Amino acid sequence: MPISAGSAPGVRPFGPLRGAAADAARSLVASARLAWAIEGNWAEPIYLAAFLIIRPLAFLGLFLAVLNIGGTLNVATIGFVVIGQAVFQIVSAALEGPTHALLDDRERYRTIRYIFATPSSLLPVSIGRSLVKASIAGFSALIVIGAGVLLGVPMRAGGPDILLLVAVLPLGLLSVVGIGIVLGGICVQLRNDAWAYPQAVSSTVFLLCGAIFPLEVLPGPVQNIAAALPITWWIEGLRRALLSTTSPGMLGTMPTNELLLALAVGTAVIWLIAPRLFVMGIDRAREKGYLDRNTAS
Amino acid sequence: MGNSVVGAEATALISRIHDETTWSLGRRIRHAFVSVVARAYPRVIGAAREPSWLFFDLVFPILGMCSIVFLLRSRGVDEAWIASTILATALLSFWISVVWMMGAQFHWERDSGNLLLYITAPVGLGAIALGMAIGGALGVVIRAVIITVAGVLLFGAKYQVADPFLLALVMLAGVAAMYSLGVCLSSIFLISGREADHLGSLLNEPMHLLGGVYAPVRSMGTVGVVALGILPLAPAIDALRQVAVPQLAATGILPVGVELLILLAMTAVFGVIGRALLAHIERVGRAGGKLLARAD
Repeated sequence: MPISAGSAPGVRPFGPLRGAAADAARSLVASARLAWAIEGNWAEPIYLAAFLIIRPLAFLGLFLAVLNIGGTLNVATIGFVVIGQAVFQIVSAALEGPTHALLDDRERYRTIRYIFATPSSLLPVSIGRSLVKASIAGFSALIVIGAGVLLGVPMRAGGPDILLLVAVLPLGLLSVVGIGIVLGGICVQLRNDAWAYPQAVSSTVFLLCGAIFPLEVLPGPVQNIAAALPITWWIEGLRRALLSTTSPGMLGTMPTNELLLALAVGTAVIWLIAPRLFVMGIDRAREKGYLDRNTAS
Repeated sequence: MGNSVVGAEATALISRIHDETTWSLGRRIRHAFVSVVARAYPRVIGAAREPSWLFFDLVFPILGMCSIVFLLRSRGVDEAWIASTILATALLSFWISVVWMMGAQFHWERDSGNLLLYITAPVGLGAIALGMAIGGALGVVIRAVIITVAGVLLFGAKYQVADPFLLALVMLAGVAAMYSLGVCLSSIFLISGREADHLGSLLNEPMHLLGGVYAPVRSMGTVGVVALGILPLAPAIDALRQVAVPQLAATGILPVGVELLILLAMTAVFGVIGRALLAHIERVGRAGGKLLARAD
């Protein structure tokens, strides 16, 4: 269609979406497909499956072996660790995903300058990449939970609490992706070791969120920080939905309604702030010329 | 053919080329030594010039160590296991260096274009790999010491080393075996293409489990015994635990002397295999032109 002066072509609709929303959705889907090609298509399916199975199971085995030092394990303790370890697979992938996607595009594939030159925003692109990484990690999480079942972990009688699961799963995922894109906006401005910051955050969160041990083991002041993390509430919510038991200590005393409310409010706050911080970070990176550089890191 | 060389001039030229390209054994050794030092230099000195590298090299192991210590404390285990965890974390800093700074190094060097420079320079890949190993090990020593001191200060761990010489010997043999394996890994990572990063990931937690790093290798049963024969981490940590934390000596699967011999044998065997693999990738890389050059 020829473009005449004064009549810019409109954005093609995307399903029921129109205008900027359609453009963002199209970018998100395209980036998700690209992420699958990069993350899930790097090897034959059998090797990919082996990779997705071996590492999380090794993690789980490592923690169970350590726990076993303290004497024979009961299934409740195994269940606590299994769910925490499974969920953290997703947390880690979603936290590190946006930064690694941006840095991969800048340093490795050297395409970020071309993506930036398109009318699409980098925000849906980063979210799409992050969601696919989280989905692939979700497969590992299922494997870990399956291993837990084989080890005799008592899952909730009558199956998972679907209502709680449907409420908790997307809220937690959104909160983690939100934090991930903030990290992406920050790390794209860094010169050295930009790859390492999200991993450092992820490792710190792992230590704090009660994934493998109760918060009460942490030193006093650190417990309060740990109890204020949405990721802590997410893991606890999923434990309740899948195991029908609460964690020992302070988290266990929190009613499920309050847990859900806290998670919802936390996620809303993160999403009020995260896109703005991401855009600020990308704008600054563009002004300083950071989108176009290669640090060879 | 205005540039042709004939007669006495040709003979002199042939003689000169022969002199310049046929090195005596002494000259070859000197050249290899200089190459090793040159490659080790940035690993030791260069790394110290970038504080952020030191920071991240310490943060990740210390965070991992804290997780394991809190996990142990949640079960109320003997404090000797916390001392063992700190020791294991210090040893793991060498293993991480072996996986990423040895194994993945040539893969990264190819992506950054340096590998072609190595190949075109009059230096063997063996000398470069040895330089990477020596420099890497020296660079990690300070990190391992800081991790141990941090662990002792944070968690009040106590060690009773009756024979410091034996402890140093075990540590040295363990590090040598690991870096010797690293030379093999550098070729394997290079051949594995874009699976290299994933391969590196697989060499972390699964190997920590198989190597009995945090829990005794004895608890792994037959798999643990096999690991003891092929994975340097396993005999190294098992021997270190027996020497530095005597309360846990009963968890050792073999006597320290035997584990020391296993580590020395691993150093020799992995060294020979690594040398052969390097020669293979150099040959294949030169012939095919793809293995050593960046894809784009």
